[in-house]
Order: sequence, then C-alpha cells, then structure tokens
Amino acid sequence: MSATFDDSDESKPYATDPEWADVIPVQQYEGVEPIAPIFYTEEYKDATDYFRGVVKTGEMSPRVLKLTEEIIHMNPAHYSAWQYRYRTLLALNSSLEAELELMDSFAIQFLKTYQVWHHRRLLLTALRSVDAAARELAFVARALRTDAKNYHTWSYRQWILAHFNDEDRLWPGELPWVEELLEEDVRNNSAWHHRFFVVWQSGVRRGEVDREDVLRRELAFTKEKISLAPNNPSAWNYLRGVLDHTHTPYASLTSFVQPYTVAAAPGPTDDSVVDLENPRPSAGAELPCVPALEFLADIYEAEGGEATPKAVQIWKSLADERDTIRKKYWEHRIKDALHGSQ
Amino acid sequence: MTSSGLRPTPVDGYPSPTSRLQIATEDILRAHVPTSGTPPVLNRNLHLQFLLRNLQQGFPERYTSQDASQPWLIFWTLQGFSTLGIGLDDRTKRRAIDTILAMQHPEGGFGGGPGQVAHLLPTYAAVCSLAIAGKPGPGGGWDEIDRAKMHAWFLSLKQPDGSFKVSSDGEVDVRGLYCLLVCATILNIMTATLLAGIPEVIASCQTYEGGFGSASFGEWAFGEDGQSPDYAAPRPTLGEAHGGYTFCATAAWALIQPYVRLYASSPSPNLSLAPPAVNMRSLARWYAAMQGGRAELGGLRGRTNKLVDGCYAWWVGGGAAVVAGMLKEMDEARSIVGECVAGDVDAKEGEGEEAKEEGWEDDDVDDSLFDRAALQEYVLCAGQHAAGGLRDKPPKHSDAYHTLYCLSGLSVAQHQVIPNTSRRIALRSSWDSAKARGREGSGMSLSDDQLSFSDGLRRESFVNALSWLEEEGTEIYVGGAVNRVNATHPLFNLTVTHTEAVMAHFYGQSLPIRRPTSRPRRKPPTA
Ligand SMILES: [Zn+2]
Repeated sequence: MSATFDDSDESKPYATDPEWADVIPVQQYEGVEPIAPIFYTEEYKDATDYFRGVVKTGEMSPRVLKLTEEIIHMNPAHYSAWQYRYRTLLALNSSLEAELELMDSFAIQFLKTYQVWHHRRLLLTALRSVDAAARELAFVARALRTDAKNYHTWSYRQWILAHFNDEDRLWPGELPWVEELLEEDVRNNSAWHHRFFVVWQSGVRRGEVDREDVLRRELAFTKEKISLAPNNPSAWNYLRGVLDHTHTPYASLTSFVQPYTVAAAPGPTDDSVVDLENPRPSAGAELPCVPALEFLADIYEAEGGEATPKAVQIWKSLADERDTIRKKYWEHRIKDALHGSQ
Repeated sequence: MTSSGLRPTPVDGYPSPTSRLQIATEDILRAHVPTSGTPPVLNRNLHLQFLLRNLQQGFPERYTSQDASQPWLIFWTLQGFSTLGIGLDDRTKRRAIDTILAMQHPEGGFGGGPGQVAHLLPTYAAVCSLAIAGKPGPGGGWDEIDRAKMHAWFLSLKQPDGSFKVSSDGEVDVRGLYCLLVCATILNIMTATLLAGIPEVIASCQTYEGGFGSASFGEWAFGEDGQSPDYAAPRPTLGEAHGGYTFCATAAWALIQPYVRLYASSPSPNLSLAPPAVNMRSLARWYAAMQGGRAELGGLRGRTNKLVDGCYAWWVGGGAAVVAGMLKEMDEARSIVGECVAGDVDAKEGEGEEAKEEGWEDDDVDDSLFDRAALQEYVLCAGQHAAGGLRDKPPKHSDAYHTLYCLSGLSVAQHQVIPNTSRRIALRSSWDSAKARGREGSGMSLSDDQLSFSDGLRRESFVNALSWLEEEGTEIYVGGAVNRVNATHPLFNLTVTHTEAVMAHFYGQSLPIRRPTSRPRRKPPTA
C-alpha cells in the first residue's frame, strides 16, 4: 500500500540536487512542537519542504511540474500540490491533453482519491473539447471495469454528460451501456442511479419525446429486473423513483406486486398465460419479499379508509417477523398512518 | 435470537458480484455474533492507549495519505477522548492549539497542514478541535481564529447556484457545505449573503432513493457565470445516495432551518417557485433501509446494496438521529398548531393527559429510526480491533478515522440527543441580542433591514443548535453501563458541553442552567 513510489529511478533528494540549489526549503512546523505528527519518509519530507519553498516564491516552471508529480505519487490526496500543478500548467501553457493522458495511470492507481478525478474535470473544463470528453467517457468506462461502484468515477461521468449536454454524440451509448452493466450485476445501485440520471434528470433526448412511452419502457424494464431477483432493493427503489417522478400512483402496479407478497405457489407456473405487463417471480425467488410487502402497504396507505388497517397489518408483520431489524421504522410508519395525518 | 434471524440475505437463486460479496461478508461477520451469556465489552483502555499513542508518539508512515488532513487526525483523536469521557491536560491542549493555529491560512480558513491551501473540510476539523481544546483569551485558540477573513474566504468559494467549492479550484459537494455551516454556526458568522441559495442546493442533492448524492449540477440553471439564471431548469444530482453525503446534507438542512423559516416569511427573490423542500419521508425510509440484517450484526451500510462498515455507524446513525430529531420537532409544531386552533388550552391539556393514558402517544420514549441495540452489537463485536482502535469490519485493521466514527456511532446508538422544547424556550428568553450582535464575526456592514433580519437569524441559529439535548431515561447500553460513552451532538459531533461553551463565547451569551429533562417512562426501554 505505502510502496507507491518504489519503481522510480533513484531520484536524488532535492536538498542535494544542484538543480534545486536556488530554492530555500520551508520546514512544515517552525517553533511548534506538533501534536499527533506523521512519520514521513525522508523522501516525502524533502519533496514537501521544497514544495513549500516553491509556493512561497510563487515559482511556476517545468521543474515545479516534476516536483508536484512526485508529491502526488507519494500522496495523491495532497490537494494543494494538485492545485499548484494545475495553475502551473495553465501558466506555462502546457498541453492539457498530454496532462489528461498522463493522468490515466494515476487514476487507475488511485481510483478512490477525489483529487484524481477533480483534476481531470478541471482539465476537461479548460479544454472545452468534445473529442476529449468522448475520450473521457471511454476512460471512465474502463475505470469502472476495475471498480464498478466507484463513487467519484460515476459522478465524474454524470458531470461530463451534463456539462456537454448538447453534444448529441456523447449520449446515445449511455442506456445500452447501463443495460450491459445491469446484465452483469443487477444489484449495481450505481448503474441504476445512472439510469435515473440519463432517463429522468437530464432533459429530454432525441427519440424520447413521448414521455408516456418512456415511462412504459422503464416500468417494463424494471419489472423484468425485479422478477429475476425480487429481493433486490436497487430495482425497487428505481421503480419507486420512476413512479414518484412521473406522479404515477403506486396502485397502478397492484397486480404486478401481488404475486411477490405471498409465498411462491407450488408447482410449475403455466407458461401459456404469461402476462408481459406483469412478469411473475422467477423460480428461485425467495418470497414473500420485503420490498414488495412494503410497496403493497404503501398502496393501502395511499388508498386510506378501509385499506389503512391492511397497511398496518403488513407493517406489523414486517416489524415483528419479516424485517425485525427495522422494527422502529415500521412502528413509525404505523404511528404516522394512524395519527400523523388527518 | 433465533437462528433463522441469522439467515443470509436472500439471493433469489440469481447471484451477481454484489450478492457474492455480500454473502462472503456475512460469513465473516456471522462468526462475530455475540453468544448469549457473554455480554460484549468495550475495550476502553485499549482504545485509549491507541488514541494516546497517536497523539503523543504520532502516526506511522502509512498516514502520509492523511498529510493534507492533519486537522482531521487531531479532531478524530481529541473527540475520541471526549467520547470516552477523558479530559485533556493543559500541555496537551496547548500543543493541540498551537498545531491547529499553525494551519490557519493568512487569507482565512484552515488548510490540511501548515502552508497548505485553505479547505472547508480541515476548517471544520480545526474549528471543532479548538472547540475541544481551546478557550477564550490570548493563546486560548478561540480568539485567534480570524473570523472576518474566514467569512470573506467562504464568500470567495461561493458558486452562482449557491453551492461552495471546498477550496479555490476545488470540487463542489455537500461535505463542504456542511463543514461551512458548522463553522459559521459556531463562530457567529451566519450571514444572509453566505446562506443565499444553500437551501435550494441541499434540496437538489436529494436523489430518488431519499438519501443525498455528492452535489447537483447547477450550470443549466445558472450558466457558468450566474448571469440570467433560469430557476426552473433541472439540477440533476451527481452520484447516488451515499451515507457520508447524506449525513452532511441532513445536518446542513437542520442547521439552515432558521434561515429557511425566516426566508420563507420574507419576500422571496423568486416568487414563482415553491420554497425548497427536502422529502423527510423518503429520507427517513432511506436511513432505515441502510441497517444490515442480523447476519450483519445490524451494522449500517453507506449505499443501497453495499456492505456495512463501522464508520457509517456515525454517518448514517448520526444522520438518522438528526432526522428523528427533526421529525419530533415537526410533530410538536403540528400539535401546537392543533392546540391553538382548538383555542381552549386548559380543556385541551386535560385531553392530552387522557390521550397519554390511552398510551399511543408517549408510551415509547425511543424516537429513533433504527435498531439501537443491534448497532451497538456491531460496533462492539465487529468494530473493535484486538490491538486497540476500531475499524470498518473484520479482518481489517483499526485506524484513526474508524476509531472515532465507530465510537460516535456507538454513542448515537446509546443516547438520544434531540431538540428539547423547554430548552428552546429558556434559550430564547435568556437571549441577549445586543451582546450577540456585538460579537458578530463576519464584520460585514448591513443596512437597518438587514440588521433586524440578521439579529433574528443569529438568535435562531444559536437556539436551533443548542436546543438539542440528551433525552434522559432513553439510554440503552448493550453490555451494561460499563460500556457507556459520552453523548454527542448529532449536528456537530462534539459533546453538548463543548458546543455550549464555544457558542456561548462567540455569541456573548451566558447560558441558562440545564435541568435534567425526561419524559415519563411508561414502558422499560427495549433491549
Ligand atoms: Zn468506513
């Protein structure tokens, strides 16, 4: 983990490097005996002393690029080194494309670091190039092969798409790609969120003007995924998200949900009566499943009146039997339904 | 506990990478389920030694990755001591103050270390560390914070949509927003200029799942320069709902309520739009859904279909505590309105007693949204490392970050700190407006109109923050009271005592005495 700088060709300390003899290094703490200090390697201490020295004089030069690159290699979370590097690149009129390419190996190595992704975003913003954006989307897809749920990678992708919103050529691949990812892992919540972003949050794309049609397509897609793995909360949350967003009553899905709220019927299902609107639970489904019961209770609660006790009954069974870890929450729902709203 | 309670997460005969990792993790965690008869023990001394070693000897080389988070290393350690009920000696306090002050940036705010660029996150950690270790007067740390410069620096980070970059050239996200609001609240620099647009930003970060993502995309509404904004344009969320961001957004939403209320009652800058709103129902649902099952020892996860992790005991547990507190406040506000409408207060009070007798209303003193006992089991049985310190999950090592947030999560599962109506009334009645105005720290000059608005904002920010108190009689200690840790304020992650002292100083107030408060207990607390 800590040996991120082991393959470098024996760089000599800045303190003895004649090329850096004109810079006065600045110690981190002067006149303070710091509490909770970090035991840095000599190499890191040396480099950051010279970094502070450079910042003090405001030098922006090619050797500063080399210095910041070295520091970032040792500590990719050093946001001040990143910031100084970015400003130096601009000051020197350096090729930002070349910088993006240099960043590829960094990003894969330090996938979880904010700065790695933010730096790319600054570069792409400055470049204003759709080609570069397209290349970035391809790079992000590659990075997600390594870590399919990496938060920064995903939010960077969404930022690229939003920032280059009018560039039609960047968008058409998104939905098929999300479908591929959900094919590989139907429980990848990041991919579900991306689907919501693409379909519902980023304006209306070409070919998606008929929103009723889009709604039908999304409901069919989601129901199908639910039928494969009914206990998958990501798919249910997406379903709820779509219904909420389009102000579609949950009750419109009552006949779809019902089979998921009861123990599976014994024996093979009759394939001749396949209802495409309402795909049935798969053979391996473990039923009844909590998300379906919750959904049904929501339908009853919204209906109100005579239906409220049915909702309460479901919540009680969740609280006392099927989902006891969330007992407090289900009791809160009961209280809320009975007394909260008049 | 029945063995069926420990059944694995259902896979529906349809495994995928997520479910495989989930089942493998449950197999590891299952080995840590406490056996009945041996109560889990908090290894207090081991953790104290861990903290002490970090504080006095320092951190090993692998912590170089935290070199730009030095105020955090200090905060995690100092607040760890506070949570374990250990005070600091004067020399330690002195060194902590000097170290933190060495990181103050000449242009305002604090950096991740001396000579580093000022950044909102370490600024939170620095201010909170000073709240613990500092005091008024020269060398005490508190009066060395340059509040006017900090406020000016905050404004320099503000974006056209109301959001904030974490540093100049830095990213925008709700962590920064939360850190900024904590500092502004504690330091009495909550100005209307600073807060404009923040409620809308927070609301736009709530995802369809109910939790919050990292940021929203404001350029469609505001362009890159903020000229001719289009308030109706969508502001899509960047990134899915996530425990860390959801905590920050929830606590930020709670901290900004005084502004939201005052601003809703004053002429709105864009009248055509509904005031920004957070969906508390879906938020509460999201928080509850983050608790893992019995096979995961009731630990908390940070995202849908991700693994439980000790640090979310705080981010998700703390955020859920904020929501529980806000829901209780909303409930009370509703019942007060109900009483006012009924008019006959005396008669109504009598009825209230009857309603209590019947029992649904006050019989349960536990307002939480999650299983507090189960979460304690996770921290105690899976979160502790045998060599001291706490961790994500077995078989990982402990570290400074997980040590604090596991302990904070344990605290939030043991205690309930929620808004207290009588405290709010007492704080309002003892409020000294002139003194508070005199201690205002931003140094901004205001017109008369603005002055009265900001007087109101200042008072309500103070009252809103300090009305959160522990509800006595609602503690639950898994493993017995020997495992007790101190209560923590869910909006700040400081003890109430530290929060009160530092805010009393910066608002020039002397606080009314706190009386123990408790609701009548009708049923012994569960667990
Ligand atoms: Zn963690």
